[in-house]
Amino acid sequence: MLSRRRFVQGTALTAAAMAGPARGQAVKEVVIGALYPLSGPSAQIGVDAKTAFETAIEIINTAHADLDLPLAKEAGLPGLGGAKIRIIFADHQGDPQKGRAEAERLITQEKVAAMVGSYQSSVAATISQTAERYSVPFMSADNSSPSLHRRGLKYFFRAAAHDEMFSIIMFDFLDGLRKKGEKIDTLALFYEDTIFGTDSSNVQRKLAGERGYKLVSDIKYRANTPSLTAEVQQLKAGNADVLMPSSYTTDGILLVKTMGELGYKPKAMLCQAAGFSEQALYDAVGKQIENVITRGSFSIDLAAKRPLVGKINELFKARSNKDLNDNTAREFMALLVLAEAIDRAKSTDGGRIRDALAQTDIPGERTIMPWKRVKFDENGQNNDADPVLLQYKDQKFVTVYPEQAAVSPAVWPMFKA
Amino acid sequence: MTPEIFIQILASGLLMGLIYALIAVGLSLIFGLMDVVNFAHGEFMMLAMYATFGAVLLIAIDPLFLAPLVVAALFVVGATAYLGVVQYAMRAKANLGMVQIFATFGLAVVIRGVAQLLFTPDYRNLPPNLLGGKTVSLGGIYLPLPQLAGGLVSVAAFTGLWLLITKTDFGKALEATREDAGAVALVGIDKNRVFTLGWGLGAALVGLAGAMLAINYYIYPDVGAPFALIAYVVVALGGFGSVFGALAAGILVGLVEAVSAVILPSSLKAVGIYALYLAVVFVRPRGLFGSL
Amino acid sequence: MAVHALPRDLAETTAAYDRRRRNELLFFGAVVLALAALPLAVRDVYAQNVIVLTLMYAALSQSWNILGGYCGQISLGHALYFGIGAYTTSLLYTKAGILPWFGMLAGGLLAAALALALGYQLFRLAGHYFSIATIVIAEAGLLLVHNWDWAGAATGIQWPYVPDSWATFQFGRDKLPYIYFALGLFVVTWLVTFLIEGSRWGYWWRAVKDNADAAQSLGVMIFKSKMAAAAVSAFFTAVGGSFYAAFVSYIDPESVMAFQFSLLMALPAVLGGIGTLWGPALGAAILIPMTEVTRSYLGGSGRGIDLIVYGALIMVVALARPQGLVSLFTRRPAPKV
Repeated sequence: MLSRRRFVQGTALTAAAMAGPARGQAVKEVVIGALYPLSGPSAQIGVDAKTAFETAIEIINTAHADLDLPLAKEAGLPGLGGAKIRIIFADHQGDPQKGRAEAERLITQEKVAAMVGSYQSSVAATISQTAERYSVPFMSADNSSPSLHRRGLKYFFRAAAHDEMFSIIMFDFLDGLRKKGEKIDTLALFYEDTIFGTDSSNVQRKLAGERGYKLVSDIKYRANTPSLTAEVQQLKAGNADVLMPSSYTTDGILLVKTMGELGYKPKAMLCQAAGFSEQALYDAVGKQIENVITRGSFSIDLAAKRPLVGKINELFKARSNKDLNDNTAREFMALLVLAEAIDRAKSTDGGRIRDALAQTDIPGERTIMPWKRVKFDENGQNNDADPVLLQYKDQKFVTVYPEQAAVSPAVWPMFKA
Repeated sequence: MTPEIFIQILASGLLMGLIYALIAVGLSLIFGLMDVVNFAHGEFMMLAMYATFGAVLLIAIDPLFLAPLVVAALFVVGATAYLGVVQYAMRAKANLGMVQIFATFGLAVVIRGVAQLLFTPDYRNLPPNLLGGKTVSLGGIYLPLPQLAGGLVSVAAFTGLWLLITKTDFGKALEATREDAGAVALVGIDKNRVFTLGWGLGAALVGLAGAMLAINYYIYPDVGAPFALIAYVVVALGGFGSVFGALAAGILVGLVEAVSAVILPSSLKAVGIYALYLAVVFVRPRGLFGSL
Repeated sequence: MAVHALPRDLAETTAAYDRRRRNELLFFGAVVLALAALPLAVRDVYAQNVIVLTLMYAALSQSWNILGGYCGQISLGHALYFGIGAYTTSLLYTKAGILPWFGMLAGGLLAAALALALGYQLFRLAGHYFSIATIVIAEAGLLLVHNWDWAGAATGIQWPYVPDSWATFQFGRDKLPYIYFALGLFVVTWLVTFLIEGSRWGYWWRAVKDNADAAQSLGVMIFKSKMAAAAVSAFFTAVGGSFYAAFVSYIDPESVMAFQFSLLMALPAVLGGIGTLWGPALGAAILIPMTEVTRSYLGGSGRGIDLIVYGALIMVVALARPQGLVSLFTRRPAPKV
């Protein structure tokens, strides 16, 4: 039986061979599956991701001569005769089994050419395994667990950084401050009991040991707990030089509120993004944590150097009434990187797209990220996705590290004693 | 642990416990009245928090003074839930308990879906207000004003509830109906009316808790779930149907949770609450004050 | 366990009873044959995935029903046994290379032993006190696994990526092996339920429900039979958990021990008819495809519409058919629970 995918692939190749845009109409669209939590406790992330992808689709499918991004200038994919990208969203509710089932559905029923996802690392584990079994590329947009790219999968790609890269830059920053004479000896780790919190704290604990910092608090808490009073009390008693939380939005808000309630002002906070990249947190408690520093994959103040970033942000904001953030910027970029490879593959065949992805080499200037470039290693990880550190000042994020990306030096410590 | 930290943890636990009690008592009341466990209780609280949020945006009065409005709104929600769903579940001729559980469970899922549809899954917070984020320090012991107010409101609500049950005609009808729903019809009490008011009252109480909690807590469609689980444990620990039991158990749970977070790894603190429940029911199978 | 020819109720003669039992078995055989043929007709992978889950939940709910339906002990903590099965199998396989088939047995026995230990205390609790106790024990179990570093804690356990094989029970794309295993599990749990219905235990449990005096005279024996029922129920629930781990090839605490699993095991039985032979299967056949399809085809909007539809359907079914959907097909009133 001639499957639809074979058919599409065949016509795509014919179209490519003839290289005529008029004849290329044979492939009208390329379907990509996006797997996100669209209901349940993380639904907000999924709904925001949806807007980020829709913005990326708009840029790919319509001509934007003023944007120097992959596929922006022409309408659709020139390599596939101007075919449009269509995205299908699937709800995995944060459940690995459902993620797997939805991935199978997208591959077999919707005949997606590739998939992108998935926020929760546990769900990415099953989606990427399914992708491997069906030879369909999976682009991890926003999963940060380092274990994901260490399973020898051929169809797994991640353009953004993972937790180890993130934590290393945090410690490089602390080392730099120490060299300048700041007294930084003790750290407090505060992390949720999920795969994210565990991975993040494991790397941080290891780095702290290697680089000679003492952990005075090491607190793992239950995610979405109703109260953090006793936990914050312990943080306050330890009074570390740097408080390092790995928390999502809900617990992040509760943490800061509880700190205020118990009169605890940490000397400095250096956060593993997540909740501390979300506008909702700063709307709620931003005033209390002026000068907080968080790692990020993205910073809106890049717009000062690269007007491109500002333009994309405007497009996104028009749809969502929010600024791009750490997650939505990564999601936006992941889809562009994926589409760029599909365009070069000139095919919707999973194997060819995979090979094209392996050849990807996009300079940092043609992204909206502070990355050096996008180029995947043999595990599908982009090691040039340099993270940045951002400081929240006057209700805005300012890039403060590394130096080549910094817009202004960091204010340290957070609260003058 | 220094004595200061210990006192701080007890104080925080006590305040949290009073809120837990206020969340739980509505559940206990409804159960005592008609043997129904309301699985949508956490969703009622979530609705109250959104109601507070919406009212603050619309009316621009401090949330503290909007609480009566929210309580009234939740009374209507509770009464509607009874008239629209639960009274039909009560008519089941078989499987009564399970039908009620799943009718209210289905209701909870629907309410969450509607909240996501209407309010989006974004996390909301009240704008700065009279109490939010403020705290008083008594000799190094910090008492956050929102929780302090919540605790006082909780005590006042329990006092009011006690007066209502013991001193008013409605309270007597409530008491009579819970003792023998069949016989009350003979003395001219409309059972359905008492049940409707009971559901309204139960929802109004959790509405009050939600209104107080909203002052200093994030709001989103799934916010009710962790509180609901604690509320079920509190109700069972205190003894199903016992108002005083809910108060005592709520406080106890708040204290045990706060202490557990220090002596156990914090992520295991709920195990302290669970162990407390099991220890109590193994000795007293009807909870602390259960009379059934 | 022998089938004791005890009359179901006094109005029914022994001969009529035997005939009815035989007919039920024949009907069951026909249903199983139809189910076995189904995946040969339905080739779509997504649909086959739904069939796997439906059969699995039918089996799980059938196991739950033995304790929750027939004994009237409403457990809302069966996720604990499910998790024990999933974790025992995954740990033995990934840490010691022991094939999942042995892990399945080990997990089942471990769960049964735990059910006996817990049952001794828990059966003294009545009604909601029992249900809440099962919830808190399962939640405590979830938290402990969540903090158990050797078992992967929150990171969970990833099964190695191996070629298709019955030995390791790993199949990359093929769903048929999983469908037939889940069908087999359902057949076994159905037959166990069928045998229990006809046994002394079934007779005692019915007697206790109809007549409080009977409970007095049978007290000790009832207690022991309930313990046994709890062990049987836990055993098959854990086997289901082992199956799930092999099927998904990845487990973490939230995905196998969360409270929602406990509800998902009880729901089909309630929907179909609690304490009935066919209730769990019927309930699963309606509930699971409905859950999957609403999520897959309505969940993508991110606006909560899938939740509204799903919740409303549960509510409507619970209200419209309190005695369970199985009552649509029988003239006899469903047993009181």
